[in-house]
Amino acid sequence: MNEERDSQLSAMFDGELPQAECELLARRLTRDEILRAQWSRFSMIGAALRAERGVALHDRVAWRVQSMVAQEATYGDGSVDAAPTSRTAVIVPASELKAASAARWLRFARPAAGAGIAAGVAAMSIFWLRTQDDSQTILAAAPVTESIVLQPDTSSALVARNTAPAETRASNGEPERYVTPAPSSSASIVPPARLANYVVAHSEYSGPLSRRMALLGLVATDPSEVPATLDEESQESLAAGAADAP
Amino acid sequence: MTVEESDLVLVKRVQRGDKTAFDLLVRKYQHKVVKLVLRYVRNPAEAEDIAQEAFIKAYRALPQFRGDSAFYTWMYRIAINTAKNSLASRDRSPIAYDLDLTDPEESHSVQTKLQDPDTPEGMALTEEIRLIVNSAIEALPEELKTAIVLRELDGLSYEEIAAAMECPVGTVRSRIFRAREAIDKRLREVFEGGLGRTEEMV
Repeated sequence: MNEERDSQLSAMFDGELPQAECELLARRLTRDEILRAQWSRFSMIGAALRAERGVALHDRVAWRVQSMVAQEATYGDGSVDAAPTSRTAVIVPASELKAASAARWLRFARPAAGAGIAAGVAAMSIFWLRTQDDSQTILAAAPVTESIVLQPDTSSALVARNTAPAETRASNGEPERYVTPAPSSSASIVPPARLANYVVAHSEYSGPLSRRMALLGLVATDPSEVPATLDEESQESLAAGAADAP
Repeated sequence: MTVEESDLVLVKRVQRGDKTAFDLLVRKYQHKVVKLVLRYVRNPAEAEDIAQEAFIKAYRALPQFRGDSAFYTWMYRIAINTAKNSLASRDRSPIAYDLDLTDPEESHSVQTKLQDPDTPEGMALTEEIRLIVNSAIEALPEELKTAIVLRELDGLSYEEIAAAMECPVGTVRSRIFRAREAIDKRLREVFEGGLGRTEEMV
Protein backbone atom coordinates (compact mmCIF):
# COMPACT_ATOMS: atom_id res chain seq x y z
CA MET A 1 0.00 0.00 0.00
CA ASN A 2 1.22 3.46 -0.81
CA GLU A 3 1.62 5.08 2.60
CA GLU A 4 2.44 8.54 1.27
CA ARG A 5 -0.66 8.53 -0.94
CA ASP A 6 -2.87 7.40 1.94
CA SER A 7 -1.38 10.08 4.15
CA GLN A 8 -2.23 12.63 1.45
CA LEU A 9 -5.76 11.25 1.29
CA SER A 10 -6.17 11.71 5.03
CA ALA A 11 -4.84 15.27 4.83
CA MET A 12 -7.09 16.06 1.87
CA PHE A 13 -10.09 14.74 3.75
CA ASP A 14 -9.27 17.23 6.51
CA GLY A 15 -8.60 20.03 4.03
CA GLU A 16 -4.95 20.17 5.07
CA LEU A 17 -3.29 19.18 1.81
CA PRO A 18 -1.54 21.81 -0.35
CA GLN A 19 -3.65 22.79 -3.34
CA ALA A 20 -1.34 21.41 -6.02
CA GLU A 21 -1.26 18.00 -4.35
CA CYS A 22 -5.00 18.21 -3.76
CA GLU A 23 -5.63 18.71 -7.49
CA LEU A 24 -3.50 15.69 -8.36
CA LEU A 25 -5.09 13.48 -5.73
CA ALA A 26 -8.59 14.57 -6.76
CA ARG A 27 -7.80 13.46 -10.30
CA ARG A 28 -6.57 10.14 -9.00
CA LEU A 29 -9.57 9.70 -6.72
CA THR A 30 -11.98 9.99 -9.62
CA ARG A 31 -10.27 7.05 -11.30
CA ASP A 32 -9.55 4.83 -8.30
CA GLU A 33 -12.52 3.11 -6.67
CA ILE A 34 -10.36 1.60 -3.92
CA LEU A 35 -9.17 5.05 -2.92
CA ARG A 36 -12.76 6.32 -2.97
CA ALA A 37 -13.81 3.46 -0.70
CA GLN A 38 -11.06 4.47 1.70
CA TRP A 39 -12.31 8.05 1.52
CA SER A 40 -15.77 6.73 2.48
CA ARG A 41 -14.37 4.83 5.44
CA PHE A 42 -12.60 7.97 6.67
CA SER A 43 -16.00 9.66 6.63
CA MET A 44 -17.52 6.69 8.43
CA ILE A 45 -14.81 6.73 11.11
CA GLY A 46 -15.61 10.37 11.85
CA ALA A 47 -19.33 9.65 12.02
CA ALA A 48 -18.78 6.68 14.32
CA LEU A 49 -16.54 8.72 16.62
CA ARG A 50 -19.11 11.48 16.85
CA ALA A 51 -21.69 8.82 17.78
CA GLU A 52 -24.30 10.43 15.54
CA ARG A 53 -27.49 8.79 16.69
CA GLY A 54 -29.74 7.48 13.96
CA VAL A 55 -27.06 7.91 11.32
CA ALA A 56 -26.48 4.62 9.60
CA LEU A 57 -22.82 3.94 8.92
CA HIS A 58 -22.86 2.98 5.29
CA ASP A 59 -22.84 4.63 1.88
CA ARG A 60 -26.45 4.08 0.94
CA VAL A 61 -27.20 7.76 0.40
CA ALA A 62 -24.05 8.11 -1.69
CA TRP A 63 -24.95 5.07 -3.80
CA ARG A 64 -28.45 6.37 -4.46
CA VAL A 65 -27.24 9.87 -5.28
CA GLN A 66 -24.57 8.48 -7.57
CA SER A 67 -27.07 6.44 -9.55
CA MET A 68 -29.38 9.46 -9.88
CA VAL A 69 -26.57 11.85 -10.80
CA ALA A 70 -25.55 9.44 -13.56
CA GLN A 71 -28.84 10.30 -15.26
CA GLU A 72 -28.31 14.03 -14.82
CA ALA A 73 -26.60 16.38 -17.24
CA THR A 74 -22.82 16.59 -17.25
CA TYR A 75 -21.44 20.09 -16.79
CA GLY A 76 -18.57 21.61 -18.72
CA ASP A 77 -17.20 19.79 -21.71
CA GLY A 78 -16.62 16.60 -19.75
CA SER A 79 -12.92 16.63 -20.53
CA VAL A 80 -11.90 17.31 -16.98
CA ASP A 81 -8.80 15.18 -17.19
CA ALA A 82 -7.54 17.24 -20.09
CA ALA A 83 -6.00 20.64 -19.52
CA PRO A 84 -8.08 22.48 -16.94
CA THR A 85 -10.14 25.34 -18.32
CA SER A 86 -9.34 27.61 -15.44
CA ARG A 87 -6.44 27.67 -13.10
CA THR A 88 -6.45 28.83 -9.56
CA ALA A 89 -3.66 31.21 -8.69
CA VAL A 90 -1.27 29.57 -6.27
CA ILE A 91 1.26 31.63 -4.39
CA VAL A 92 4.53 29.80 -4.62
CA PRO A 93 7.75 31.04 -3.03
CA ALA A 94 10.44 32.19 -5.46
CA SER A 95 12.85 29.54 -4.23
CA GLU A 96 10.31 26.82 -5.04
CA LEU A 97 9.73 28.34 -8.45
CA LYS A 98 13.47 28.26 -9.16
CA ALA A 99 13.73 24.70 -7.94
CA ALA A 100 10.74 23.70 -10.05
CA SER A 101 12.22 25.45 -13.07
CA ALA A 102 15.58 23.73 -12.55
CA ALA A 103 13.85 20.39 -12.10
CA ARG A 104 11.86 20.96 -15.30
CA TRP A 105 15.04 21.93 -17.18
CA LEU A 106 16.86 18.90 -15.82
CA ARG A 107 14.04 16.64 -16.90
CA PHE A 108 14.62 17.60 -20.51
CA ALA A 109 18.36 18.23 -20.30
CA ARG A 110 19.25 14.84 -18.86
CA PRO A 111 18.07 12.74 -21.81
CA ALA A 112 19.51 15.26 -24.27
CA ALA A 113 22.89 15.24 -22.52
CA GLY A 114 22.82 11.46 -22.40
CA ALA A 115 22.05 11.26 -26.11
CA GLY A 116 24.83 13.77 -26.85
CA ILE A 117 27.38 11.82 -24.84
CA ALA A 118 26.30 8.57 -26.51
CA ALA A 119 26.58 10.17 -29.95
CA GLY A 120 30.02 11.57 -29.08
CA VAL A 121 31.26 8.20 -27.90
CA ALA A 122 29.88 6.55 -31.03
CA ALA A 123 31.56 9.15 -33.26
CA MET A 124 34.85 8.75 -31.41
CA SER A 125 34.59 4.97 -31.72
CA ILE A 126 33.93 5.19 -35.45
CA PHE A 127 36.80 7.62 -35.90
CA TRP A 128 39.14 5.44 -33.85
CA LEU A 129 38.08 2.28 -35.68
CA ARG A 130 38.57 3.93 -39.02
CA THR A 131 41.99 5.17 -37.96
CA GLN A 132 42.89 1.71 -36.78
CA ASP A 133 41.58 0.23 -39.99
CA ASP A 134 43.55 2.69 -42.09
CA SER A 135 46.77 2.05 -40.22
CA GLN A 136 46.24 -1.67 -40.47
CA THR A 137 45.54 -1.29 -44.18
CA ILE A 138 48.71 0.70 -44.58
CA LEU A 139 50.66 -1.88 -42.62
CA ALA A 140 49.14 -4.72 -44.61
CA ALA A 141 49.63 -2.91 -47.86
CA ALA A 142 53.24 -2.14 -47.15
CA PRO A 143 54.81 -5.20 -45.59
CA VAL A 144 58.36 -4.96 -44.50
CA THR A 145 60.28 -6.82 -47.13
CA GLU A 146 63.82 -7.87 -47.43
CA SER A 147 65.28 -8.17 -50.88
CA ILE A 148 68.24 -10.24 -51.73
CA VAL A 149 69.81 -9.13 -54.92
CA LEU A 150 71.60 -11.89 -56.71
CA GLN A 151 72.92 -9.78 -59.47
CA PRO A 152 73.71 -6.18 -59.23
CA ASP A 153 71.37 -4.29 -61.36
CA THR A 154 72.23 -0.70 -61.63
CA SER A 155 69.30 0.10 -63.81
CA SER A 156 66.76 -1.08 -61.34
CA ALA A 157 66.54 0.02 -57.78
CA LEU A 158 65.27 -2.16 -55.03
CA VAL A 159 61.57 -1.78 -55.13
CA ALA A 160 59.26 -3.12 -52.62
CA ARG A 161 55.95 -3.73 -54.19
CA ASN A 162 52.76 -3.56 -52.37
CA THR A 163 51.41 -6.56 -54.08
CA ALA A 164 52.94 -10.01 -54.02
CA PRO A 165 56.49 -9.68 -55.08
CA ALA A 166 56.96 -10.46 -58.70
CA GLU A 167 59.89 -12.55 -59.59
CA THR A 168 62.13 -11.25 -62.24
CA ARG A 169 63.46 -14.13 -64.18
CA ALA A 170 66.70 -14.25 -65.99
CA SER A 171 67.05 -15.67 -69.36
CA ASN A 172 68.10 -19.04 -67.96
CA GLY A 173 64.84 -19.30 -66.06
CA GLU A 174 66.42 -18.67 -62.72
CA PRO A 175 65.02 -15.77 -60.79
CA GLU A 176 67.29 -12.83 -60.66
CA ARG A 177 66.30 -11.93 -57.15
CA TYR A 178 64.23 -13.33 -54.37
CA VAL A 179 62.08 -11.41 -52.07
CA THR A 180 61.90 -12.97 -48.69
CA PRO A 181 58.83 -11.99 -46.83
CA ALA A 182 59.25 -10.77 -43.34
CA PRO A 183 58.74 -13.53 -40.81
CA SER A 184 55.27 -13.63 -39.50
CA SER A 185 55.06 -12.49 -35.96
CA SER A 186 52.41 -15.07 -35.18
CA ALA A 187 54.81 -17.89 -35.84
CA SER A 188 56.74 -17.21 -32.72
CA ILE A 189 54.21 -15.95 -30.36
CA VAL A 190 55.27 -18.19 -27.54
CA PRO A 191 58.82 -19.32 -27.11
CA PRO A 192 59.12 -23.09 -26.89
CA ALA A 193 60.52 -22.88 -23.38
CA ARG A 194 57.52 -20.95 -22.11
CA LEU A 195 55.17 -23.22 -24.00
CA ALA A 196 56.74 -26.30 -22.51
CA ASN A 197 56.63 -24.83 -19.02
CA TYR A 198 53.03 -23.81 -19.57
CA VAL A 199 52.01 -27.26 -20.77
CA VAL A 200 53.67 -28.90 -17.81
CA ALA A 201 52.29 -26.46 -15.31
CA HIS A 202 48.75 -26.89 -16.61
CA SER A 203 48.91 -30.54 -17.48
CA GLU A 204 46.48 -31.49 -14.75
CA TYR A 205 43.77 -29.37 -16.39
CA SER A 206 44.24 -30.61 -19.93
CA GLY A 207 43.15 -33.83 -21.49
CA PRO A 208 45.74 -36.53 -22.07
CA LEU A 209 45.41 -36.35 -25.84
CA SER A 210 45.81 -32.59 -26.09
CA ARG A 211 48.77 -32.67 -23.67
CA ARG A 212 50.42 -35.35 -25.73
CA MET A 213 49.89 -33.43 -28.94
CA ALA A 214 51.37 -30.30 -27.44
CA LEU A 215 54.41 -32.15 -26.17
CA LEU A 216 54.86 -33.90 -29.49
CA GLY A 217 54.74 -30.54 -31.16
CA LEU A 218 57.53 -29.38 -28.94
CA VAL A 219 59.58 -32.50 -29.53
CA ALA A 220 59.09 -32.10 -33.25
CA THR A 221 60.55 -28.63 -33.23
CA ASP A 222 64.09 -28.00 -34.32
CA PRO A 223 66.46 -29.31 -31.65
CA SER A 224 68.31 -26.05 -31.83
CA GLU A 225 65.17 -24.35 -30.69
CA VAL A 226 64.69 -26.63 -27.76
CA PRO A 227 65.36 -24.33 -24.94
CA ALA A 228 68.15 -24.82 -22.63
CA THR A 229 66.16 -23.03 -20.00
CA LEU A 230 63.69 -25.83 -19.48
CA ASP A 231 63.43 -26.82 -15.93
CA GLU A 232 63.93 -30.41 -14.89
CA GLU A 233 60.27 -31.19 -14.58
CA SER A 234 59.58 -29.94 -18.08
CA GLN A 235 62.41 -32.00 -19.47
CA GLU A 236 61.06 -35.09 -17.77
CA SER A 237 57.62 -34.40 -19.09
CA LEU A 238 58.98 -33.92 -22.55
CA ALA A 239 60.72 -37.24 -22.38
CA ALA A 240 57.62 -38.92 -21.02
CA GLY A 241 55.49 -37.33 -23.74
CA ALA A 242 57.85 -38.58 -26.39
CA ALA A 243 57.75 -42.03 -24.91
CA ASP A 244 53.98 -42.00 -24.76
CA ALA A 245 53.67 -40.93 -28.31
CA PRO A 246 52.44 -43.71 -30.51
CA MET B 1 -5.27 24.94 2.51
CA THR B 2 -8.61 24.71 4.30
CA VAL B 3 -11.50 22.28 4.09
CA GLU B 4 -13.35 24.91 2.04
CA GLU B 5 -10.55 25.13 -0.51
CA SER B 6 -10.17 21.36 -0.60
CA ASP B 7 -13.88 20.99 -1.31
CA LEU B 8 -13.68 23.72 -3.90
CA VAL B 9 -11.16 21.65 -5.85
CA LEU B 10 -13.77 18.89 -6.09
CA VAL B 11 -16.57 21.36 -6.88
CA LYS B 12 -14.57 22.80 -9.78
CA ARG B 13 -14.01 19.32 -11.11
CA VAL B 14 -17.76 18.69 -11.03
CA GLN B 15 -18.32 21.98 -12.85
CA ARG B 16 -15.87 20.80 -15.51
CA GLY B 17 -17.81 17.56 -15.98
CA ASP B 18 -16.44 15.13 -13.41
CA LYS B 19 -19.45 13.50 -11.76
CA THR B 20 -17.23 11.25 -9.64
CA ALA B 21 -15.92 14.32 -7.84
CA PHE B 22 -19.49 15.00 -6.71
CA ASP B 23 -19.67 11.43 -5.42
CA LEU B 24 -16.65 12.20 -3.24
CA LEU B 25 -18.40 15.23 -1.78
CA VAL B 26 -21.51 13.14 -1.09
CA ARG B 27 -19.49 10.38 0.55
CA LYS B 28 -17.74 12.94 2.71
CA TYR B 29 -20.85 14.77 3.91
CA GLN B 30 -23.66 12.19 3.73
CA HIS B 31 -23.53 11.34 7.44
CA LYS B 32 -23.43 14.99 8.49
CA VAL B 33 -26.34 15.87 6.22
CA VAL B 34 -28.43 12.93 7.47
CA LYS B 35 -27.65 13.96 11.04
CA LEU B 36 -28.71 17.51 10.23
CA VAL B 37 -31.99 16.38 8.65
CA LEU B 38 -32.68 14.14 11.66
CA ARG B 39 -33.25 17.32 13.63
CA TYR B 40 -36.38 17.85 11.54
CA VAL B 41 -37.60 14.32 10.97
CA ARG B 42 -37.29 11.47 13.41
CA ASN B 43 -37.37 8.62 10.96
CA PRO B 44 -33.81 7.78 9.77
CA ALA B 45 -35.11 6.35 6.49
CA GLU B 46 -36.99 9.55 5.78
CA ALA B 47 -33.94 11.56 6.76
CA GLU B 48 -31.92 9.60 4.21
CA ASP B 49 -34.52 10.29 1.53
CA ILE B 50 -34.42 13.98 2.27
CA ALA B 51 -30.64 13.99 2.31
CA GLN B 52 -30.65 12.26 -1.06
CA GLU B 53 -33.04 14.84 -2.47
CA ALA B 54 -30.91 17.64 -1.06
CA PHE B 55 -27.79 16.27 -2.74
CA ILE B 56 -29.57 16.02 -6.09
CA LYS B 57 -30.75 19.62 -5.73
CA ALA B 58 -27.19 20.63 -4.92
CA TYR B 59 -25.90 18.88 -8.02
CA ARG B 60 -28.42 20.67 -10.19
CA ALA B 61 -27.54 24.02 -8.64
CA LEU B 62 -23.78 23.44 -8.71
CA PRO B 63 -23.10 25.42 -11.91
CA GLN B 64 -24.26 28.52 -10.00
CA PHE B 65 -22.01 27.79 -7.01
CA ARG B 66 -19.21 30.35 -7.09
CA GLY B 67 -17.38 29.40 -3.92
CA ASP B 68 -18.37 32.53 -1.98
CA SER B 69 -19.19 30.26 0.93
CA ALA B 70 -17.95 26.82 1.88
CA PHE B 71 -19.52 23.91 0.03
CA TYR B 72 -20.80 22.40 3.27
CA THR B 73 -22.41 25.69 4.39
CA TRP B 74 -24.15 25.90 1.03
CA MET B 75 -25.15 22.23 1.24
CA TYR B 76 -26.33 22.75 4.82
CA ARG B 77 -28.78 25.43 3.65
CA ILE B 78 -30.09 23.25 0.83
CA ALA B 79 -30.60 20.32 3.23
CA ILE B 80 -32.47 22.43 5.79
CA ASN B 81 -34.72 23.90 3.10
CA THR B 82 -35.41 20.46 1.67
CA ALA B 83 -36.25 19.09 5.12
CA LYS B 84 -38.58 22.00 5.84
CA ASN B 85 -40.30 21.60 2.47
CA SER B 86 -40.67 17.89 3.10
CA LEU B 87 -42.29 18.52 6.46
CA ALA B 88 -44.63 21.09 4.94
CA SER B 89 -45.73 18.77 2.13
CA ARG B 90 -46.19 15.85 4.55
CA ASP B 91 -48.45 17.97 6.71
CA ARG B 92 -50.58 18.76 3.69
CA SER B 93 -50.85 15.20 2.32
CA PRO B 94 -52.53 12.29 4.11
CA ILE B 95 -50.39 9.27 4.95
CA ALA B 96 -51.34 6.27 2.81
CA TYR B 97 -51.44 3.12 4.90
CA ASP B 98 -53.01 0.88 2.30
CA LEU B 99 -50.35 -0.35 -0.04
CA ASP B 100 -51.08 -2.22 -3.23
CA LEU B 101 -48.35 -4.84 -3.49
CA THR B 102 -49.40 -5.74 -7.01
CA ASP B 103 -48.27 -2.28 -8.09
CA PRO B 104 -44.56 -2.64 -9.00
CA GLU B 105 -43.70 0.84 -7.76
CA GLU B 106 -45.35 0.39 -4.40
CA SER B 107 -43.91 -3.10 -4.08
CA HIS B 108 -40.42 -1.71 -4.69
CA SER B 109 -41.08 0.97 -2.09
CA VAL B 110 -42.04 -1.63 0.49
CA GLN B 111 -38.97 -3.71 -0.28
CA THR B 112 -36.79 -0.63 0.09
CA LYS B 113 -38.37 0.16 3.43
CA LEU B 114 -37.71 -3.39 4.57
CA GLN B 115 -34.02 -2.85 3.88
CA ASP B 116 -33.83 0.44 5.69
CA PRO B 117 -31.01 0.98 8.14
CA ASP B 118 -33.51 1.13 10.98
CA THR B 119 -34.26 -2.53 10.40
CA PRO B 120 -32.61 -4.82 12.96
CA GLU B 121 -29.99 -5.83 10.41
CA GLY B 122 -29.09 -2.24 9.54
CA MET B 123 -29.02 -1.23 13.17
CA ALA B 124 -26.82 -4.18 14.03
CA LEU B 125 -24.39 -3.24 11.30
CA THR B 126 -24.18 0.35 12.45
CA GLU B 127 -23.70 -0.75 16.03
CA GLU B 128 -21.02 -3.22 14.94
CA ILE B 129 -19.10 -0.49 13.11
CA ARG B 130 -19.34 1.82 16.10
CA LEU B 131 -17.98 -0.87 18.40
CA ILE B 132 -15.11 -1.61 16.04
CA VAL B 133 -14.18 2.06 15.68
CA ASN B 134 -14.36 2.68 19.41
CA SER B 135 -12.35 -0.42 20.31
CA ALA B 136 -9.76 0.50 17.66
CA ILE B 137 -9.55 4.01 19.11
CA GLU B 138 -9.03 2.61 22.61
CA ALA B 139 -6.20 0.43 21.35
CA LEU B 140 -4.35 3.39 19.82
CA PRO B 141 -1.27 4.92 21.43
CA GLU B 142 -2.15 8.01 23.43
CA GLU B 143 -0.71 10.58 20.99
CA LEU B 144 -2.59 9.07 18.04
CA LYS B 145 -5.82 8.90 20.02
CA THR B 146 -5.53 12.53 21.14
CA ALA B 147 -4.80 13.73 17.60
CA ILE B 148 -7.76 11.94 15.97
CA VAL B 149 -10.17 12.93 18.76
CA LEU B 150 -9.16 16.59 18.57
CA ARG B 151 -9.68 16.46 14.83
CA GLU B 152 -12.93 14.49 14.57
CA LEU B 153 -14.72 15.46 17.77
CA ASP B 154 -13.46 18.98 18.40
CA GLY B 155 -12.97 19.88 14.75
CA LEU B 156 -9.59 21.51 15.32
CA SER B 157 -7.28 22.26 12.42
CA TYR B 158 -3.85 20.63 12.19
CA GLU B 159 -2.24 23.87 13.30
CA GLU B 160 -4.46 24.10 16.36
CA ILE B 161 -3.79 20.46 17.21
CA ALA B 162 -0.05 21.08 16.78
CA ALA B 163 -0.26 23.96 19.23
CA ALA B 164 -2.28 21.88 21.69
CA MET B 165 0.04 18.89 21.48
CA GLU B 166 3.22 20.98 21.20
CA CYS B 167 4.50 19.25 18.11
CA PRO B 168 5.04 20.19 14.44
CA VAL B 169 2.09 20.24 12.02
CA GLY B 170 3.73 17.43 10.02
CA THR B 171 3.68 15.22 13.10
CA VAL B 172 -0.02 15.95 13.58
CA ARG B 173 -0.72 14.98 9.99
CA SER B 174 1.21 11.76 10.44
CA ARG B 175 -0.51 10.92 13.74
CA ILE B 176 -3.99 11.48 12.36
CA PHE B 177 -3.20 9.40 9.30
CA ARG B 178 -1.78 6.56 11.38
CA ALA B 179 -4.81 6.62 13.67
CA ARG B 180 -7.16 6.45 10.68
CA GLU B 181 -5.09 3.73 9.09
CA ALA B 182 -5.28 1.59 12.24
CA ILE B 183 -9.06 2.02 12.50
CA ASP B 184 -9.50 1.56 8.77
CA LYS B 185 -7.61 -1.71 8.91
CA ARG B 186 -10.14 -3.06 11.42
CA LEU B 187 -13.04 -1.74 9.34
CA ARG B 188 -11.70 -3.32 6.16
CA GLU B 189 -11.63 -6.69 7.86
CA VAL B 190 -15.32 -6.30 8.64
CA PHE B 191 -16.27 -5.06 5.19
CA GLU B 192 -14.21 -7.63 3.34
CA GLY B 193 -15.77 -10.27 5.59
CA GLY B 194 -19.12 -9.37 4.09
CA LEU B 195 -20.70 -7.79 7.13
CA GLY B 196 -20.82 -4.29 5.75
CA ARG B 197 -21.43 -4.71 2.06
CA THR B 198 -23.24 -1.49 1.46
CA GLU B 199 -24.23 -2.34 -2.10
CA GLU B 200 -26.24 -5.30 -0.85
CA MET B 201 -28.23 -3.01 1.32
CA VAL B 202 -29.15 -0.62 -1.48
